[in-house]
Amino acid sequence: MEKEILEQGLNHNRRKFLSRLSLGIGSVALGSLLIPDLLSGKEDAEDALMRALPHFAPKAKRIIYLFQNGAPSQLETFDYKPLLTKNFGQELPDSIRAGQRLTGMTAGQTSFPLVGSYFGFNQYGESRAWISSLFPHISSVVDDLLIVKSMHTEAINHDPALTFFQTGAQVGNRPSMGSWLSYGLGSENANLPAFCVLLSRGKGNGQGVYSKLWSNGFLDATHQGVQFSNSEDPVLYLSDPNGMSRDQRRKMIDQIAAMNDLNYQEFNDPSITAKVQQYEMAYRMQTAVPEITDTSKEPDSVVKLYGPDCLVPGTYAANCLLARKLSENGVRFVQLYHQGWDAHDNLPNQMIGQAKDVDQATAGLITDLKQRGLLDETLIIWGGEFGRTNYCQGKILPENYGRDHHPRAFSIFMAGGGVKSGMVYGETDDFGYNITENPVHVHDFQATVMHLMGIDHEKLIYKHLGRRYRLTDVHGKVVKDLIA
Amino acid sequence: MPKVSRIIPILENLLFFWLGLALVLSFAGDSLNIPPILQVLGRAHPLILHFPIVLLLMAVALFWIKDEKLKEIGTWILLLGANLTGVTVLAGLLLANEDYDGDMLIWHQWLGVASLGLAVLIYFYRNKSSQFLRISTGTLAVAIILTGHFGADLTHGENFLLAPIQSQEAEFVALEDAEVFQHMVKPILEAKCIACHKEGKEKGELRLDDLAGLQKGGKNGLFVVPGDLKESLLIQRIHLPEESKEHMPPKNKAQLTDEELEILQLWVESGSSFEQKVTELKSEEPLYQLASNRFSNQKNYTFDAASDADIKDLNNFFRKVNPTFPGSPALEVAYYGTSAFDPASLKDLKSIKDQVVKLNLNRMPLESVDLGFLRDFQNLEELQMNFTGVTATQISNLEGLENLRNLALSGNNLGPDAVTVLSKLQQVKRLFLWNSGLDETAQQSLSKGLPSTHIDFGFDGKGITYALNPPKITFDKDVFQDSMEVVLSHPIRTAEIRYTWDGTEPDSISSPVYTDPLWVKKTGQIRAKAFAKDWTGSLTAYNSLFKAGIKPKSYALAFEPNVRYSAKGATSLFDGVKGKTSHGSGNWLGFTDTPLELEIYLSDGSSPKEISLSILLNEIAYLFPPEKVEIWTGSQQEWQKLPNPELVQSTKIDEVRFGVLTFPLPETAFEKVKIRISPISKLPAWHPGAGAKGWVFVDEVLLN
Repeated sequence: MEKEILEQGLNHNRRKFLSRLSLGIGSVALGSLLIPDLLSGKEDAEDALMRALPHFAPKAKRIIYLFQNGAPSQLETFDYKPLLTKNFGQELPDSIRAGQRLTGMTAGQTSFPLVGSYFGFNQYGESRAWISSLFPHISSVVDDLLIVKSMHTEAINHDPALTFFQTGAQVGNRPSMGSWLSYGLGSENANLPAFCVLLSRGKGNGQGVYSKLWSNGFLDATHQGVQFSNSEDPVLYLSDPNGMSRDQRRKMIDQIAAMNDLNYQEFNDPSITAKVQQYEMAYRMQTAVPEITDTSKEPDSVVKLYGPDCLVPGTYAANCLLARKLSENGVRFVQLYHQGWDAHDNLPNQMIGQAKDVDQATAGLITDLKQRGLLDETLIIWGGEFGRTNYCQGKILPENYGRDHHPRAFSIFMAGGGVKSGMVYGETDDFGYNITENPVHVHDFQATVMHLMGIDHEKLIYKHLGRRYRLTDVHGKVVKDLIA
Repeated sequence: MPKVSRIIPILENLLFFWLGLALVLSFAGDSLNIPPILQVLGRAHPLILHFPIVLLLMAVALFWIKDEKLKEIGTWILLLGANLTGVTVLAGLLLANEDYDGDMLIWHQWLGVASLGLAVLIYFYRNKSSQFLRISTGTLAVAIILTGHFGADLTHGENFLLAPIQSQEAEFVALEDAEVFQHMVKPILEAKCIACHKEGKEKGELRLDDLAGLQKGGKNGLFVVPGDLKESLLIQRIHLPEESKEHMPPKNKAQLTDEELEILQLWVESGSSFEQKVTELKSEEPLYQLASNRFSNQKNYTFDAASDADIKDLNNFFRKVNPTFPGSPALEVAYYGTSAFDPASLKDLKSIKDQVVKLNLNRMPLESVDLGFLRDFQNLEELQMNFTGVTATQISNLEGLENLRNLALSGNNLGPDAVTVLSKLQQVKRLFLWNSGLDETAQQSLSKGLPSTHIDFGFDGKGITYALNPPKITFDKDVFQDSMEVVLSHPIRTAEIRYTWDGTEPDSISSPVYTDPLWVKKTGQIRAKAFAKDWTGSLTAYNSLFKAGIKPKSYALAFEPNVRYSAKGATSLFDGVKGKTSHGSGNWLGFTDTPLELEIYLSDGSSPKEISLSILLNEIAYLFPPEKVEIWTGSQQEWQKLPNPELVQSTKIDEVRFGVLTFPLPETAFEKVKIRISPISKLPAWHPGAGAKGWVFVDEVLLN
């Protein structure tokens, strides 16, 4: 017995061990052939996926998202409900409300009187879509629009709803839609950020926008939205100080990069690399941005198209013009926010002001892209974070009333970029309260937008804290009916 | 336990039994009537067949090694394997009577029987000669592999084995080439139906792998009845509940997706044509829309792709070159950065001239660039040259580009000669000519010249008059020392700016036109308005500018300003810093209950001619011009009161604005000045706060 053990031990000499080991290594190597990224260390499955982007031929190359922050009422814009006018002051039937939760602002109301639009509606274009009299210019381009009347969301207050629309989650730690696209598709024009943000505010009751809405979340910091200042100088501190030459600036940036690199060697913090890249981009932006922000070369007819406000920095119209200029220069995603749609009271008055801010410039943007042959490849999105109630909040008069938040049904529109034009999609009941046909959830909307950009929303993922994330979380279905 | 020596003869004898039975069944074939119990054995064929394959191949391997011991083991295994082969062959022959037919079955069947025969032969002649052993075992191995392969094809569908390699080369189909049956319906049948309904395995006597079979249908009826959903077995079966025995595809096999169900249904509904092209459908038909999603806009290009290295080399900060979609040989090229544009860089594109289908040169200065190189870009489909300064002569280079579909030339000042050049571009389907200098006659003749082209002349703004924006007034500080430069500007280049210094409204006729920067030397207000053809005049822009006055020796307020609007007390009135339009901005001194009463002691030799106060007006916030202004001059102990100046009071609620009150001082010498400004004591009747006390807000006092 002892002898056998000894033999066994002797049999396991170094040579045998090594030759067996080599076999083992051989089998690992063979296995690794089947898993290409197993041993490379650097690239993981996500990276491999990324290399295949876009996943298929995109219909849209760029997006301009005209976010109407504060939630414009669908009932005064695109969802015509004569019944509400007819039944003015009558109670919202419980069968229609069906237990819908309310915000703290109207939950205490003892009565929920229906109120119809103060503004008349008319049908326009070949699509015969109903649009309220607030939007004469938008009505004139109705055949370029795809109006979706059956949007619905999960959140009932501004911040979560807005965050949900932009990032796919109500909590504010996820990357924004623009960041996902920047991550997935990169920049078209290397001299400009892929994702730009422009803010404006109307006179109506406003709701804040916060930088978390254009945050890169857990993605690399280079995918963060770049907020342009709404002053005359959209990108602050971009020009070199007097007496500094371009060469000197170059040297300075090189030196800073060298120092940053030392830090990177020591700490390996990826945000240092991102910083270096940002310096480089800022250097190139020094020539690229002035070319874009200079409106002096725009023909008079452009000013008439967007309205003279487009020459007043910080207005919605000026931002629309700037958005067009950024977009045609290859900025993948331009995100506008126009604040002031949160009309809990005095709605008709507030809507008049807000509509005046956005009507002409929005229609102008669509026409402008069209006449340059760019509308086909640019997707325009106009809409808020949810809708407004069909019943009145506070004091009710036919010409003066308010509306609370309503997540169950609201309207947005899109144009260009591979969506159908001259179409109205989805329907709500006669009370404008519930969707009766073709509901589109926010995740479906996001999935569809990604699809238009050539991305399979289920495949654009990022692994973070042990799980894989995507813009649409585990939801979302591409609404193919919307795609041309 | 029986002894080995007893079992071997039994097994050896059984071999002949299997062989005989196999031959009988093979020839008898169709005329057999198989009892159900044997059908079960038949269906076990796919289960047991793996044993003989392994055993026979193992025996072959052992025979090939020259070792007597191993050969002995091999003999054992061969005997066992040959017996199992017999069982398997028999089971297979029984199974063959169920729904299987065709060439593939015949090959499989006879190769199986041959393998059995060969195995028996080898067993009994294993000691004959080593050469015989080699040849016969080699043949056996080949026969086993071929039998297995044909069998697998029968079960899993033809080409099952090699499909993963081949599918990668599957070509994508362009929407314009797609056919409804060939590219939408057939792939579904191939993926989900054909494995059981095809030559050699015609379950339910239905064959879906050829056109005749499709049209003929199976034993239960017609596969499709054009336009009739109810009569078409296809639609009937796929809509049965999954638990139903008749449901297709059978439970536990891959089911149809919603989209596939829809396609099949729409295909039958639309008449189940086998030839129709997708483009023959109307675009609003659901089938077309499904197709357009499926085939996308991925065009089928026949030219070769450019090399990755070439593409990589061409990409830089100012030029983007990438495929139109993943895997496409077609490339799109975009130039960015007007100031960085180098015309010579266009020549680099020669290396990809066959691949470029889209070229974006928007805003690149192309005035003097020879566009002749574009003639070689025969596959170019879309060319964007908005705002590039191109002329008709340059555009004529595009004539031979047969594939050019979209051409954007907006923003180029094209002369009338462009009409002739553009009219030759019949191949262009969409032409963008907004803001391109073509008058109405030119537009009309071009539309006539290009009858099948959609031309967008865009928005010219004619007939629409808006008010211009007010001009912008730029200067350094509101309060200046000796003199200051004032620049007027307007974002619309064609606008003319007119201005006044005397407080009157500028008009479009008599007021001076602004050309060069102005120099302001004394306190006053500049008012400017913009005028332009096709626009109405702007609102007036204005700014009050103050010449920094004589520095007083000292000064004091008789009454403190309101505590909320006290700024830095009297100092703020002489600091040369203007307040903002918000009266709470910290530079304004506000008075309501008490008047502003200020005593100023002058330095020796200074003899101011006037005193100015900069005030803020905002009627809605109760900020009014003063009700009364009293001024005294004096020396030593004496005060001399001047006549009370006349004041202009607000008559309506206006926007928030700045105002200046200027009062002359006597020519005679004096050492001190006192000024008392009394706020309005009762707001006028038209004001919402009628009767209440008003306010006076002052941020600067200037002596000049």
